[in-house]
Amino acid sequence: MNLLLLFISAAIVNNFVLTYFLGICPFVGVSKRVSSAVSMGLAVMFVMTITAAVTWLIYHLLLVPYQIEILEYVSFILVIASLVQLVEMFIKKVSKPLYDTLGIFLPLITTNCAILGLALFSVLREYSFIESLVFGIGAGAGFTLALVIMAGIREELELSNIPKPFRGAGITMIVAGSLALAFMGFAGLISM
Amino acid sequence: MAKKSISLSKEFLKGLWDDNPVLRMLLGLCPTLAVTNSAINGLSMGLATTFVLLSSSIIISLLRKVIPHQVRIAGYIVIIATFVTVADKFLAAYLPEISKALGPYVPLIVVNCLILGRQEAFSSKNGVGRSIIDALGMGLGFVFVLVVLGSIREILGSATLFNIQVLGDWFNPWMIMILPPGAFLTLGLLIGLGNWLNERKVKI
Amino acid sequence: MNKTAKMVIVLTVITALSGGILATWDGVTKPKIAYHQLQALKAAISDVLPSYDNYEEKDINGNKVYIGKIDGSTQPVGIAFKVDGSGFQGNISIMVGVDPSFTSITGIKVLGQIETPGLGTKIVEDPSNKADPFWFPEQFGGVVLFPQIDVVKNSIPQNPNEVQAISGATITSKAVVRIINDNIQQIKDSYQSAN
Repeated sequence: MNLLLLFISAAIVNNFVLTYFLGICPFVGVSKRVSSAVSMGLAVMFVMTITAAVTWLIYHLLLVPYQIEILEYVSFILVIASLVQLVEMFIKKVSKPLYDTLGIFLPLITTNCAILGLALFSVLREYSFIESLVFGIGAGAGFTLALVIMAGIREELELSNIPKPFRGAGITMIVAGSLALAFMGFAGLISM
Repeated sequence: MAKKSISLSKEFLKGLWDDNPVLRMLLGLCPTLAVTNSAINGLSMGLATTFVLLSSSIIISLLRKVIPHQVRIAGYIVIIATFVTVADKFLAAYLPEISKALGPYVPLIVVNCLILGRQEAFSSKNGVGRSIIDALGMGLGFVFVLVVLGSIREILGSATLFNIQVLGDWFNPWMIMILPPGAFLTLGLLIGLGNWLNERKVKI
Repeated sequence: MNKTAKMVIVLTVITALSGGILATWDGVTKPKIAYHQLQALKAAISDVLPSYDNYEEKDINGNKVYIGKIDGSTQPVGIAFKVDGSGFQGNISIMVGVDPSFTSITGIKVLGQIETPGLGTKIVEDPSNKADPFWFPEQFGGVVLFPQIDVVKNSIPQNPNEVQAISGATITSKAVVRIINDNIQQIKDSYQSAN
């Protein structure tokens, strides 16, 4: 498959958050301010790209040759958890300002289902190494996009009069529903 | 944690409503939204999650004094991922239809914050008995929401319930309900309804 | 040191136990999963070919083809093979059965898809208990393959190489036809040169 199409598909048409429901927890939790949404999005995109590469290598160079695909989930989640730690330490050493922006979001990423989902989807769809890399960047970009749009809307929502039971999570879900509806308009963009 | 000892039945019931994992604590939203396009999918996902939650809670509460504090999260996720693999392969081997319908959302139980959250907040601090009760209550609360959400979406979106036609030909199914936006909208309304009911209960 | 050693030991024991449990469980479930996959494959082949006694699996230039045969006859009843391509939202894979001369289709079955629920998914949902009995894959039986299969909208097909699109899912319907059209020549050539 054409790599550009794969990128667009992962970022927009089959947006991880709005069509696969992956990464909903940070989507609800960290989408109150546009600035923190951007940082979170970038942190996720960064980890996703590395995860896509590392899990591909593990699956195809370790699990498949030794026929231990049964350990797929255990090894993926361990790799993701350690990767997040490594990335955190690395960023802390290399760039203090970057660490201050991304730092607090990194530990949250381990339990972000978008990361494990990404690794599982690339195995399921039998992507090549380059394809999984592009898929990772695209999915990360899509996650950032959804998060930033949502944060923009929520900043406005704070000023509006919402019925009390719906404040917080309720209205967030309903707004997300409208966003998902809007994103459905992209379906078919790449097929013909 | 164990400073005030609440009765076992309360421990069980809190998961069903007061501390409902989805409606009140907003845990495990991914699968809640993703697999509830039919009641049967919601039920199977809920039961698979309950199985993983229950087994992990038992093991982790047994090992709570053995696992060193610094590496507890790593230990927990290995245990959880092991049970998820067991559940996933069980579905693939004995219930292939359901396994196909749930697809990659079964392995994603690994990162369901509900499971890790209960280990961290409960099983790592309580005995086996209480952990079992807690896991069952939380699991059933999760199943409850998934089945309600799945039923609403299936009835309105396909005019069926558990694959049996319940609404007549006069009803034109609202396609949107079984599509992603329908999941967000229905859950948003359910959360609002849950909050509203809770508020009224407190006032009375 | 003592603390570090404990951490390492506990984690190693947990992972080793996990590996042991999973290896055992893998041994129990793997044959069952393989069995289900084989059953699904057999069901798909028998769905798309006319009735046969047994089938032979052949690898031709990297394409697996399944040749349906009747006992005592050398002439096959049909050839089945799998084709893949992109649909409206993602990959669609289809089992296609054709007659031995590659003139017309004997049947198709969609094996995997992620199309829009309720619309594009009509390519896999048997409508026998629904109000509208239109069943898209069924009309492929007997459709002529060459020069190419065409899709018509909102009308009954007039020519032997036409099928009618699912209303509301034109792109999915066209994708199914395109995937077959795109692959058929290559499979035909490699099959015929191998025989």
